[in-house]
Amino acid sequence: MAEVEIREVRKSFGRLEVLHGVSIGIQDGEFVILVGPSGCGKSTLLRMVAGLEDITRGEIRIGTRVVNDMPPKERDIAMVFQNYALYPHMTVAENMAFSMRLRRARQAEIDTRVKRAAEILGLSALLDRHPRELSGGQRQRVAMGRAIVRDPQVFLFDEPLSNLDAKLRVAMRAEIKELHQRLGTTTIYVTHDQVEAMTMADRIVVMRDGVVEQMGAPLELYDQPDNIFVAGFIGSPAMNLLAGQVEADGFRTEGGLKLPIERVPAGWIGRRALYGVRPEHIELRDDGVPVEVLVVEPTGSETLIMVRNGAAQLGCLFRSRILPQPGETIRIAPNPALVHLFDAETERRLVH
Amino acid sequence: MTRRRLQAVANEAKLLLIGIPVLLWTLLPIYHLFLFAISPKQSAFSGNLWPEEPTLRNFEIVLSQQHYFLTHFWQQLGNSILIAVATGVITLFIATTAAFAISRLRARGGRLVMNLALFTYFIPAAFLAVPMYRTMGLYGLLNSRWALILAMVTVASPYAIWVLKQASDKLPYELDEAAIVDGASPMQLFRLVYLPLMMPSLVAVGTYALLLAWNEYLYAFLLLSRDTDITLPVALGNFLAADDSPWELLMTTGFIYALPPAAIYYAFRRYMVAGLTAGAVKS
Ligand SMILES: Nc1ncnc2c1ncn2[C@@H]1O[C@H](COP(=O)(O)OP(=O)(O)O)[C@@H](O)[C@H]1O
Ligand SMILES: [Mg+2]
Repeated sequence: MAEVEIREVRKSFGRLEVLHGVSIGIQDGEFVILVGPSGCGKSTLLRMVAGLEDITRGEIRIGTRVVNDMPPKERDIAMVFQNYALYPHMTVAENMAFSMRLRRARQAEIDTRVKRAAEILGLSALLDRHPRELSGGQRQRVAMGRAIVRDPQVFLFDEPLSNLDAKLRVAMRAEIKELHQRLGTTTIYVTHDQVEAMTMADRIVVMRDGVVEQMGAPLELYDQPDNIFVAGFIGSPAMNLLAGQVEADGFRTEGGLKLPIERVPAGWIGRRALYGVRPEHIELRDDGVPVEVLVVEPTGSETLIMVRNGAAQLGCLFRSRILPQPGETIRIAPNPALVHLFDAETERRLVH
Repeated sequence: MTRRRLQAVANEAKLLLIGIPVLLWTLLPIYHLFLFAISPKQSAFSGNLWPEEPTLRNFEIVLSQQHYFLTHFWQQLGNSILIAVATGVITLFIATTAAFAISRLRARGGRLVMNLALFTYFIPAAFLAVPMYRTMGLYGLLNSRWALILAMVTVASPYAIWVLKQASDKLPYELDEAAIVDGASPMQLFRLVYLPLMMPSLVAVGTYALLLAWNEYLYAFLLLSRDTDITLPVALGNFLAADDSPWELLMTTGFIYALPPAAIYYAFRRYMVAGLTAGAVKS
């Protein structure tokens, strides 16, 4: 196990720079998830840690060693790829043993480690099978087994669950999290799925277009997004964002809707801002603003209702089981204590 | 019967209509060859569909080198085998390493090599026979079996490189990366991951080069001349030099010569169909 320090790292492909100075400190044993939309440079960053891409500028340290010029095999990392990348001509056991075989480990040691990894992952009965004889979830487990066997300083995962169906993905999510709790190995995990990030990470790094937008514990990002991007990216269904201006007694949207705020930030009266409220922080109240119901999506435990007032559209998530008809008018009110305000120009958060 | 059934039957019928003539077209000469081989000399040209007295006498004559034209039969067969196998092995070596370097290691200038390889096919091999003869002469290799081996490798390599490069490109590059992260050197990657996965293509390409050399006449005829150096096809050509060519022996030898390729195709037919990479990655 080791800490990982990524300092001011840049990456260019030819003349195109795709990472513009990324700094992330990862503690020993931490489970860090890089999340962001497709193409934002997550994989590139992970591959730079792995040694599969060279580092254009900046520095990456694993433990005490700067690894910039070190080939992958000396970095003591293990990587799990999105599409598993199992060696098709080798059995499950051979796949898992491959790295140790390359290091000329003693057969007895290889056997013990493979056996242990197989037990951890429930693969013991499949050791003699070939990858083509396995299901998607089993292949994914073998890929993880290959990483576990090596007992590396750092685990690297690149979207390991995105090829699995929804149900299996939830199961594997829990499994990976449990595995991390059990082994305690420092882990960097890449995904574009914010739910995955929220449920598994000790700490989330939100990236966009080659820069880090915000880092923090999942609930920190949820409660205090630094900017509009993070606010919209973290949380599902996504936060409602309405443009308008701050007034002495609340927030007025461009459509003339009056919405409550707890404290008016100093010096902001009359200025343009964005009003952010999560669907789950909107309540039904008789003295709330009237809105027209557009779509009702009941899921059993909760109900998502899309509503409209003028041009402004809002998603509202209610725990209670209410089923208004589309076209009907309901009255809603955001919980002022849980409302976020953002500067309309810089898109940064106003109140903390 | 539904419309769809009808269509399926029609398709089947069309395939048969094409397939049967092609099969006959291919098998007829072979049958002819065989017919000659089991006919006694006198009745070889009788025109019967089956000889009145089938005999293995011709095979006996050929295999025990009892005819003037066949005094070096075994030696010449050996030459053919040696040259074909050497061509297959050397071509495979060149094409595999080239494909690996270009496709997997992304060696610089790979595209140029591929384009040059393709370019060689704008010039028919027959046009190059005389320049090749001269080149081998300059190297002092004329009348050496190496001349033919090298010439055949030259002819076979470009195509072999193309086929193997295409096949390599289909292997997921994540496999290489996984192996590299696992600690494999390029050589280990080549030996432990690349070669096993390329096996079907390697067998196909090796067979191609081997049979190309096995069946070669023109280059063999030009580059080799001593009776003990030439390959069997050239020796067969020499049969025709006589006025009363022993057709039945010519055909028998030809028949024997056609057996190894058939055996090779039969043995490796499984490899000719790829499919080993199934399960490597989710596609
Ligand atoms: N080998 C490469 N050559 C050129 N551009 C690349 C290469 N790899 C990635 N990129 C570019 O870098 C950016 C980030 O890619 P990537 O790290 O794969 O994004 P993510 O994993 O977040 O979806 C993308 O714009 C992509 O097009
Ligand atoms: Mg990616």
